[in-house]
Amino acid sequence: MAATAYPVSGFQEPVKRPALAEYLRWSIDHKIIGVQYIVTSFIFFLIGGALALLIRTELMVSPDEITVMADGVAYNSLFSIHGTVMIFLFIVPMFAGFGNYLIPLMLGAKDMAFPWLNAFAFWLLPPAGLLLLFGWFVGPAEAGWTSYPPLSTLAEFSGDGQTMWALSIHLVGLSSILGAVNFIVTIRNMRPPGMGYFQMPLFVWATLATSIIVLLATPFLAGALTLMLFDRVAGTTFFDPSGGGDVLLWQNVFWFYSHPAVYIMILPGMGVLSEVLSIHSRKPIFGYRMIALSSMAIALVGFTVWAHHMFTSLQPELRIPFMITSMIIAVPTGIKIFGWLATIWMGKIRFTSAMLFSLGFLSMFVIGGISGVMLAAVPIDIHMHDTYFVVSHFHFVLFGGSVFAIYSAIYHWFPKITGRMLDERLGRIHFALTYVGFFFTFFPQHILGMRGMPRRVAVYDPQFHDLNVLVSLASFVLGISTFVLVYNIAVSLVRGKVAGANPWRALTLEWMTTSPPPAYNFVGDPIPYEDPYGYGTPASQAYLDAMESRFGPPLPQEKAPETEKPSAQPAGD
Amino acid sequence: MQREYDLEEHLTRDELLALRNKRAGVFVFQVSWIMAFVCLVVVNWQLRFSPNWMPPGTEPVSAIPGAVATIGLLLSAGLVKRAVDAVRADDQRAFLMQWLGAMGLGVLFVGIMLVEWFSVEPGTQYALVFRFMTGFHVLHALAIGVYMLLVYNNGRRGAYGPYEFWAVEAGARLWYFVLVAWLLFYVVIYWA
Repeated sequence: MAATAYPVSGFQEPVKRPALAEYLRWSIDHKIIGVQYIVTSFIFFLIGGALALLIRTELMVSPDEITVMADGVAYNSLFSIHGTVMIFLFIVPMFAGFGNYLIPLMLGAKDMAFPWLNAFAFWLLPPAGLLLLFGWFVGPAEAGWTSYPPLSTLAEFSGDGQTMWALSIHLVGLSSILGAVNFIVTIRNMRPPGMGYFQMPLFVWATLATSIIVLLATPFLAGALTLMLFDRVAGTTFFDPSGGGDVLLWQNVFWFYSHPAVYIMILPGMGVLSEVLSIHSRKPIFGYRMIALSSMAIALVGFTVWAHHMFTSLQPELRIPFMITSMIIAVPTGIKIFGWLATIWMGKIRFTSAMLFSLGFLSMFVIGGISGVMLAAVPIDIHMHDTYFVVSHFHFVLFGGSVFAIYSAIYHWFPKITGRMLDERLGRIHFALTYVGFFFTFFPQHILGMRGMPRRVAVYDPQFHDLNVLVSLASFVLGISTFVLVYNIAVSLVRGKVAGANPWRALTLEWMTTSPPPAYNFVGDPIPYEDPYGYGTPASQAYLDAMESRFGPPLPQEKAPETEKPSAQPAGD
Repeated sequence: MQREYDLEEHLTRDELLALRNKRAGVFVFQVSWIMAFVCLVVVNWQLRFSPNWMPPGTEPVSAIPGAVATIGLLLSAGLVKRAVDAVRADDQRAFLMQWLGAMGLGVLFVGIMLVEWFSVEPGTQYALVFRFMTGFHVLHALAIGVYMLLVYNNGRRGAYGPYEFWAVEAGARLWYFVLVAWLLFYVVIYWA
């Protein structure tokens, strides 16, 4: 397809942000729903974070007795609800929020394929969250976010809160499935003319891969939860060996969902990185097809690794095959990492807050990936099983990866969503505190794990106390860093610099409309540029100039930047 | 072969897109939800190793009633397909007759499965899993059966035609799902 000089066909008036009340009621506008997801999940993030700080306080104060919490049951509930909230009510719906907001815009569509279903999927989340949290008051869930039987099925070990936990996750699962159906159909059927699969932004590819995983894995969780509910309330014995059941059945079925769920939580973050790194280094993405296809490879291989969570309970002859598949999945992940490094190599890097968090992702996620490969090795896993090494590993993946990507996405797309820029100085402070706080919270946990400190304990050997104090103090820094972002958002919404339609001078279609976009997104059908990452060429420059002639400069209150010179760097592919 | 009307000529671009989206949406959801049935197949396979799976003296249910039910369901799905073709060709009478026939065979299927459900001797993991799987499937058949009944009632009032057939097609697609899910279960429950 030839380069197109005019990305949009009609004139668009600037629009105001929707009123607050719009976000508090049923809406079928994908942008409203996207913000509803993002804000709701951020609130759950604050709740989950507060629970984490309580855990850290307990572990800091005294190693050999429970002091902060009432008893061990309360501590068990704390880490159970923390993990569940962070996974099911923060990371997964947060990326669903960005997907909802961005996918139709990136595809030049007016909305998602099924707007009503989209709203319904979101409105399943608040009751799910309330069910989970109110379970605390009726005998809280205390079997961890993995909820292994018999802790989760026998009444003497868990109260009605565990039943509410299962119902809550059922609702979240249904919400995820409905969202995934919507994403897949939207991506398949609503791309504009001229946008084939290999002209889609990589965030769209990542969302497609994620949706495929959600689609195929989440029903397994639904099945497992249904059996658990029957065991709890109907007297069946699917997981009770005394009645002929099998506790390992839960582990098999649960991890068949929950390991792919790790990729549900990281793939959209990888999509964010592909956007941010290319745009903020003004370079074409290196290896577009490989990055796109590696998302699909991760989705596929992700279904073959679940039993590495069961190395200590698995038949020995099955360990090696699962060890091999678990190591193989590092290959498509590595392809992405090298692709991103090559993308920013020799680029005109702008160290914006979005870029800093994406670079932070790169460094931290690699550590989490390497410790993941270590844990995939059977001998190491058996030694490290259920220690703090595992806790450290998955926080490097899910915080160092997913949360850094979420922060990056917030800084990158906040101008599009609100029409205001976030304060970059506060953004850098936020990044510095998060980076340092995160590293010192979780890196020492590798050492604690290797030295033998078990996870999920409130009372531990005093020899681990010093490192636990360091970890807890760092976690408080991490907690404080979140409020820098909250403050930044609050201030910027009122006094932030006005953002133009395309403040980052990006080529993807979500920037080819006003900030914030109107309810109908685009006047007419926008025309995508031939390469969504084709920065540094005269044709892309002409496309961006044409866009700015329609929508105004990137930052209307500032002097217009100098026109970019075409890059001397060759295209990435 | 009945003549189908040309949708491209009659529907607007947005209507055609909406129809494509609905078809794709139902298909994608079915691909997803069949995994819940696959999950129960895994449950069945894993619990077979339980010592209480089928203690000595316990007999598995006979395969014959299940086979009759399966044949009924296959015929029912065939009639549903013909009913959709009929409504798209604007043959209202054939549509209603075939839809009614499909529902009748569906009732036969559900009836046989209910008899099976109650006849299996409880107290073993085999019976527990058998009842859970067949019960789970019959719940789907009943829910979709109710939807088919609504479609039939609307059809009697002439609500569907060559350009207004999505509700009928959706019912058919859901009924095919009941068939596919059952074939998966039937092989595992009765033959494996």
